[in-house]
Amino acid sequence: MAILNVNPTRMAMLGLKKKIISAKRGHKLLKDKQDGLMQKFMEVIREARRMREDVEQKLGKAFKNFIRANALMGEAFLEGALLYSTAIMKLEVETKNVMSVRIPQFTVKSSGEVVNYGFLQTSGELDMALKSLQDVFPLLVQLAEIEKSAEALADELEKTRRRVNALEYRMIPDLQDTIKFISMKLGEMERSAITNTMRVKAQIQAKEKRRKQQTVA
Amino acid sequence: MDMYKMAIIGSRETILGFKALGLEPVYANDSKEAVESLYRLKKEKTDGGRNKYAILFIMEDLATDIQPEDYKKLSADPLPAIIPLPSHLGSTGFGVTRLKRIVEKAVGSDILK
Repeated sequence: MAILNVNPTRMAMLGLKKKIISAKRGHKLLKDKQDGLMQKFMEVIREARRMREDVEQKLGKAFKNFIRANALMGEAFLEGALLYSTAIMKLEVETKNVMSVRIPQFTVKSSGEVVNYGFLQTSGELDMALKSLQDVFPLLVQLAEIEKSAEALADELEKTRRRVNALEYRMIPDLQDTIKFISMKLGEMERSAITNTMRVKAQIQAKEKRRKQQTVA
Repeated sequence: MDMYKMAIIGSRETILGFKALGLEPVYANDSKEAVESLYRLKKEKTDGGRNKYAILFIMEDLATDIQPEDYKKLSADPLPAIIPLPSHLGSTGFGVTRLKRIVEKAVGSDILK
């Protein structure tokens, strides 16, 4: 409840009336955007949660294999064997636009061989460990994609919600109050002008009456 | 098509395998070091002026102690995505907590239960 700092004139009131119309339209649009974002967000966050549980479980297994390999081979040998890996992972990134939020989409491009070591001094566990890690990896990238999307959507949702609330609970009521204030003020001015003229008229009439009485007398 | 790289931040033994897969390994022993490397990796650009890294994986045990302000600054831009992964010690639940925080931010209360 606040009255904006404007002059109570008809001009200002017309301006405010135009403003309130666009504020209402903006509010409706933003509300629609919020609903759309929320729908998308719920989809994404459910998926993210499911994937995270999946990934955590599978990654745990991969790590276990790795630790086993490490225990069997010793760290120096393990590191030495992995040095020969020629694998290079690169990502292709595209961005998709969902309700003005930019959502990344990753595609992995891998080249080279991971298993590039001699089999004599390495244990079979290492092969298994690397295989399991390689299997989990696409899931990790998917998880990254979907979690980042969820994050971006959440950011935008928060912003949109603030804007909607600012319009709904602050701007529109303020504008309405101010318009009401101006129209009351204008009415008041009108009435005061009428009473003023009535008073002046009465004064003039009284003067006239007195003059007539004087001339009669 | 633009090609991006991926990096993984963690202790030596955990990220050995990822290094073999072809990710860029970045060693960090505590979360202070991890935050520093995150900032550094985020700033790195290619010649074209865009980010060099699209995904930065970080081990959960290092990610738990990142300050909220730092995290906010790091995750503000569309890229890179910073994703915590459970280490060989097992999941600390940090990843799920993070999802919960995201939901709270978006919806206003935690509806994932």
